[in-house]
Amino acid sequence: MDASGVQLTTRVALAIALLAPLASVVAIGVMVLLRDERPKESQVARVMGAGLAGSVVGSLLVIACYVGLLGEAASGDISFGDWLRIDDFFIPAVFLVDTVSVSISLFAAFLTALIARFSRTYLHKEAGFIRFFVLLGVFATGTQLVAFAGALELFFAGWELLGISSAFFIGFFHERDEPVRSSIRAFATYRLSDAGLLIATVATLQLLGTARFSAFGTAAALPPLQSTAIALLFLLSAMGKSAQLPFSGWLPRAMEGPTPSSALFYGAVSIHAGLFLLLRVWPLMEVSMIARTVGVIVGLSTAVYASLVVRVHTDAKGALAHATLAQVGLILAEICFGWTTLALVHLICHAFLRLGQYLKAPNTIHDSHRLGHAHRTASQLETRLPGLATRIYAASLHRLRLDDRIDAAFAPVLWLAALLDRLDRRWRALLSFDRPQP
Amino acid sequence: MSDGVFGDLAATLSAPWETLAFGLLLLIAPAIAEPLHRRWHLPSLIVCLVITLFSPSAPIAYTAAAVGAFVHARGAWSSTRTGAVWLSVSAVLAIGAAAAMQMEQLTLAFILSIIAIALRAGVLPLNAGVASLCDRAPVVQTQQLASSFALVFIHLRFVDHHAAAVAMGPGLVRFGAFAALLAALITLVSRDLRGFYRGTTAMHGGMLFAAVGAASIGNFAAALLVAITMGLALGGLGMMITSLEERVGPVVYRGPGGRVGAFPRLSAAFVLFAGAGVGLPGTAGFVADDLLLHTLWMESPASTVAVILSSALLAVATLICFSKTFLGRTTPSRAPDLYPTERLVAVVLVLLLLVLGFFPGLLLTPADAFLTPIPG
Repeated sequence: MDASGVQLTTRVALAIALLAPLASVVAIGVMVLLRDERPKESQVARVMGAGLAGSVVGSLLVIACYVGLLGEAASGDISFGDWLRIDDFFIPAVFLVDTVSVSISLFAAFLTALIARFSRTYLHKEAGFIRFFVLLGVFATGTQLVAFAGALELFFAGWELLGISSAFFIGFFHERDEPVRSSIRAFATYRLSDAGLLIATVATLQLLGTARFSAFGTAAALPPLQSTAIALLFLLSAMGKSAQLPFSGWLPRAMEGPTPSSALFYGAVSIHAGLFLLLRVWPLMEVSMIARTVGVIVGLSTAVYASLVVRVHTDAKGALAHATLAQVGLILAEICFGWTTLALVHLICHAFLRLGQYLKAPNTIHDSHRLGHAHRTASQLETRLPGLATRIYAASLHRLRLDDRIDAAFAPVLWLAALLDRLDRRWRALLSFDRPQP
Repeated sequence: MSDGVFGDLAATLSAPWETLAFGLLLLIAPAIAEPLHRRWHLPSLIVCLVITLFSPSAPIAYTAAAVGAFVHARGAWSSTRTGAVWLSVSAVLAIGAAAAMQMEQLTLAFILSIIAIALRAGVLPLNAGVASLCDRAPVVQTQQLASSFALVFIHLRFVDHHAAAVAMGPGLVRFGAFAALLAALITLVSRDLRGFYRGTTAMHGGMLFAAVGAASIGNFAAALLVAITMGLALGGLGMMITSLEERVGPVVYRGPGGRVGAFPRLSAAFVLFAGAGVGLPGTAGFVADDLLLHTLWMESPASTVAVILSSALLAVATLICFSKTFLGRTTPSRAPDLYPTERLVAVVLVLLLLVLGFFPGLLLTPADAFLTPIPG
C-alpha cells in the first residue's frame, strides 16, 4: 500500500476506534427514548458488544499502520481538519499516533470489551443493565479520545467523559444513600481538579501558541515561572484523577459501584488516566524541576499512606483500592524521576494485574470464608515500639482523617455560599412585587 | 471538519436565519409540549423576533425587541408581577437604546442595551425578574430566552463595535465572571429544584455577560454561541422541570427523590440538558465554554479562572440536584413519563445541542462573517 493509502487507512481506523462505541451509545439511546417497550438485555449487549469490538479492531488497524504492516509506517499528527475555526483561533481535530497512544488505546479497548463480556453474565437481570452498558460505551469513547487526542482540547473532552461515566458508575446502586454520596464526592474531586487541566489548557494555548502535544517540545522556550505554573496545574489534575494525596479519599468510596466497573475504572484504566496525562505533557513537566519534585513527593507519600492503610483494611475491594493507590503513587514518582518508559510498562502490567484481582475479589471473599484466615505474627515495630505501632494503626484505620480535613477546608466555601444565598433571597424579596409563595 | 462539506454548508447559511431558527424553536417548543400554554401572543412574538433579527435599522430592531419584551411581560403578568415588571423595564431600556441609536449616541445605546441584556439574562444582582419567571412562569422564561438571544444578536450587530464598547469590555468581563461565580456558589446550596434552575440561569447569565463584554474586541461569534447554547440548554431544562413538577408537584430536597424509575426518559433528558449547560463534551455547551474561556483569557486571566471555577461548582450542583430529584429508593408514581409531544421537543433540542457540539462551524462561520465586518 502506498503512503496515501496508509494515511487513509489510519484515518478510517481512528474514526472506527473512536466512533464505534459512541454509535452504540446513540443506538441504545434512540432505542430507549423512542421505543415504548424497554430493549432486551441481549439486544443491548449485542449493540454495545459490536461497538466495543469495532473499537478493538480500529485500534489494531491503527497499530498495523503505525508499525508499517500495511506499507510505509504512519505516525505523528493525523489531522481531520478543524473542529472549529474563527479567524486565527481554531480547535484542531487532530489525533496523535505514537507508541504511547497506540499502547494505551489497544489496552483500554481490549479491557473494556472484556469487561463488557464479563458483565453480560454478571449483571444479568440487574435493574441497571442498560444504564451500565450505556455508561460503558461513554467510557470507551472517552478512553479512545484520551488515548489518541493530539491536542489538549480533545484530550479534555475525553477526560470529562471518563469523569462523568465514573461518577455515574459509583452511584450505580442509587437505591442506597452511600453510593450516591460517594459519587458526588468523587465527581466534586474530579471537577475541581479538572479545573486545573482546563486552566492549563487555556494558558498553554495562549502562551505556547498551540495546544498540540506534538508541539510541546518548544515548552523549554517558556519563562520558568510560566512553565512551572502550567506543569503544576497538570500535576494537580493528574493527582485528582489518580486519587493521589490529598485527594485519595474518593477511591475507597468508589468501590460502591458494580465490581466490573470497579475493575475497569479503579483497577485498570481510569485510575491511570492522570499518569497518562503526565506522560503526554512530559516535555512541559521535564522543564519544571519544581513540578517534578512535587510529583515525586506526592507519589511516594501516597505509596506510603496507601501501604499503611491497606494493612488494616477489612474489606477486599477497599484493600485492593489502596494497594492500587500504592502502585499508582510509585508510577507517578517514576514519571517525575523521568523514567517514562518504565512508567508506561509498569502502568500497563499493573492495570492487567489489578483487573484480574478486582474481578476475582468476590471469589476471594468466598474462599477466605471457606478456608479461614492465616495466623498473623507481630511485626518488629509492634514488638519494639508498641506505642508507635498503635498510633500508626489508629491513623491508618482512620485513613489519616483525609476526608474530614478536606471537608474542613471546604467548610468556609459552603458557609460563604449559604450567606450569598440568604443575601440573594433578601435582595429578591426587596425587589419583588409578588406575594410570597407558600 | 468545518472546512469540508460542512464548511460549504455553513457558507450558504446566514447568521440571522440560523438565529431565527433557534429562536423560533424556543418560542414554539413550550407551546407544543404544553398545549394549555398556547396563547395569542405567540404569533406576535414570532413577528417581533423576525423584525429584530432582519431589520437593517438599529432603532427598528431595538423597538421590535422592546415590543417582544412587553408581550412576554403581558404573558407573565398573571403568574408573576415581578417578572412582568422587570421584563417591562428591559423593554423600556431597549426603547431607550433605539432612541439613542437614532440620535447616534452610541455610548448611551451601548449602556442601555447591555443593562437590558443583563436584566433578560438574570445576571446577579439584576436577577429578581428572571428568578421570578423561573419560579412562577417557566414557560414565559423559556420563550423569553429566545428573544434574549435576539437582543444579544442586535447588540453585537449594532452597538458592540463602538470605541466605548472596547473601553468597557474588560470591566464587563470581570463583572460577568464574578457574577457567574457567585451564582454558582448560590446554586451549590440550593434547596429545591426551582432554586437550582434559578441559580443555573443566573450563572449562565453571568457567563453570557462576560462573553458579550469580550465580544467588543472582536469575538462576536463566541458571544452568540454562548447565548444560543444558554437558550437551548436552559430552555430544555426549564421544560423538563415544568413537566416533572406538573406530575409530582414542587420538588424540595428532603432526601433522595427516587423518581428515575417512574420517569426514566424525563430524567435522561434532564441530565442531557443540565449536562449541556455545564459543558458536557459532544454538546454545544462544551464548545461554547471552550471558546469563551479562550476569549476571556485575552481580556482577563483572573476572570477565566473565575468562570472555570463557576462551571466546576455548577457541575457539582447539577449532580447534587439530579441525585436529590431522581436517584434513591424508587418512589411509585401513577403519572406518565414524557408524552410523545414532550419527547419530540426534548429530542429536537438535544439533537440541536449535539449538532452544534460536533459541527460548531455551522453557526460560528456565518455568524463571524456576518458580525465582524460591520464598521463602528
